Amino acid sequence: MSVTSTELSASPAELPHGEILIALEAGDRSAVTASAASIRAHLAARFAGCTAKIVVATAGSETALVDADSPDAARTAAVPALAGDGIAGHLSAVSAVLREADRLGARAAVLLSAGAHDESVDWLGLLLQPILEEGFDYVCPTYRRERLDGMLNTAIVYPLTRALFGRRLRQPAGGEAALSLALARALLAQPAWRQDPAYAGSDAWLVASVLAGPFRACQAWLGKWPGGAGPAEDASHALARIVGPVFQEMERHADRWQRVEGSEPVPSVGQAGVIAGGPFAVDVGPLEDAFRLGLRELGELWGLVLPPGTLLTLRRAAATPAGKARVSDALWARIVYDFAVAHSTRVVERQQLLRSMTPLYLGWVRGFVEDVRELDGDGTEARVEALCGTFEREKPYAIARWRWPDSFNP
Amino acid sequence: MWQDTKRIFLDSAERLLQATARLLPSVLAMLLFFALSVVLAVALRGVVRRICERLALDRRLREWGVWPSGDARSSPTRLLTRISFWTVLVLGVFLGLSVLDAPAASAVSVQLLGYVPRLLVALAIFAVAVGISRVVERNVLIGAVNMGMQSARLLALGARWLVVLLGAAIALDHSGVAAHVVTVAFGILFGGIVFALSLAVGLGAKDFVARSLQRRFPDSGATESPAEQEDERGQIHHT
Repeated sequence: MSVTSTELSASPAELPHGEILIALEAGDRSAVTASAASIRAHLAARFAGCTAKIVVATAGSETALVDADSPDAARTAAVPALAGDGIAGHLSAVSAVLREADRLGARAAVLLSAGAHDESVDWLGLLLQPILEEGFDYVCPTYRRERLDGMLNTAIVYPLTRALFGRRLRQPAGGEAALSLALARALLAQPAWRQDPAYAGSDAWLVASVLAGPFRACQAWLGKWPGGAGPAEDASHALARIVGPVFQEMERHADRWQRVEGSEPVPSVGQAGVIAGGPFAVDVGPLEDAFRLGLRELGELWGLVLPPGTLLTLRRAAATPAGKARVSDALWARIVYDFAVAHSTRVVERQQLLRSMTPLYLGWVRGFVEDVRELDGDGTEARVEALCGTFEREKPYAIARWRWPDSFNP
Repeated sequence: MWQDTKRIFLDSAERLLQATARLLPSVLAMLLFFALSVVLAVALRGVVRRICERLALDRRLREWGVWPSGDARSSPTRLLTRISFWTVLVLGVFLGLSVLDAPAASAVSVQLLGYVPRLLVALAIFAVAVGISRVVERNVLIGAVNMGMQSARLLALGARWLVVLLGAAIALDHSGVAAHVVTVAFGILFGGIVFALSLAVGLGAKDFVARSLQRRFPDSGATESPAEQEDERGQIHHT
């Protein structure tokens, strides 16, 4: 485990006061009750001058916020709300939370999963302190996870977001957030609610709006990952659900990200790092098989998306002996950029496009698994850092493809 | 002799003139129908083109894989405008012929005019089925590849032809061509395909189906084997 965070300055003498809005993802009744009690205890200990309104975001034709202690919360909490359609997780409740924060004039609004957090860490303090005491507008909750957890974040979301916006938010698709009142009001005023209601309110939308705007963002390491709700999600569904909104944001902020070069760290609080529990036994054979099968069967479809040179390189990779096929970082970065361009130009229907990316993603994951099998936390972070560097170096390719999508030889 | 010849000739000429005079209004009416149908066809072509452009039909059909992306010379809009133009023109010709005072031509035209709408609807049903079949093929192919099925292409082609077959059967039934034969033949064929697929899944992929069900309904009662529990610990989590 490594400590790589940039600590914020010490707390000022004046104690924070005012109202804080905390919206919990609807989960089972006991989890919501336990979370609400834990949050109240933490707040009383850490921010004595603050009062908190804890609500549960409920599902329905329109998202509603119900007080966590009310009988309604008991009824609605049983509904695994908001996780099913389109926008991931409870962030589809963002609109309701922002409106409520605006109405209350809350100094901070927090969106949290209802699951238990790492109690060995002052997680609520880490989440709220940057906003209440340091004047930050956005805190991105980040967790210490296993090396092979959140692979989509490692492979696509983090390197792509970092290369596009030039800020190193380690887990930009975490599904939780803490916002200042100023940011909440600015987000509410965005035209995206009218122009693009299908995407407004997603994780990617929130993060891109913050990173593309004049807001102060930081990340808070909240300890060990508490674990997601429900069974593990299949790769192709996860790709379509998570990467689609990121590509959409790439399109929305095209005029901005083309002017960004390199990246810089964002201020961090808490203990950063990756959990490394020794060598793991993951069989990479199925990943390689999926890559070869994809190339054999979806090569024709990929021909609409990828330049001939990229396809040729992929075929060469697939032609290597069993156990040797891998997608290099440079090739992977170009593939991601090519798929983002295809998503924008709608060469292929978007859901089909994103799901067809799965074998390529698994091909890259295969190489990554081999690379980090023997590595510790620092080594794994260095490997991810190398990937992000490649995404940044390949950005001119993305810009060229974006500007001249029909030209396959930028 | 000369008088007789002259009389016969004049009689013939008179009959011809009378016939021509009798036919002339209907010929003029026919020509008017032709002219009107040309005007209507040109106008409809413009309307269809505009609607297609408004709906971004070319882009959408290429996006869904219904129309091949590489073919720049042809487009769905061009095809639809041509079809609408020639349909109106041909209908105008039949309509024109039906007003002609020629019993044989009129009878044929009236019969064709009665049949053309059914034929057009049947063709439209078939075209839509072909379009849907291509979308289904691509979706099944991607889904099957992502599930790691080696026979993904075969499965996708099977799904495609199943939809085409269904569309063809509906179209033939609608057009009234051997309706009973088509229904029976389709029923037998479709039942056979479903039976074959059931056997294939039951015999060849029962483990795969069991694993899929286990993943989808993890609390369905079956307990994981120690090997599976070990595998869970060394699992890749995508989210």
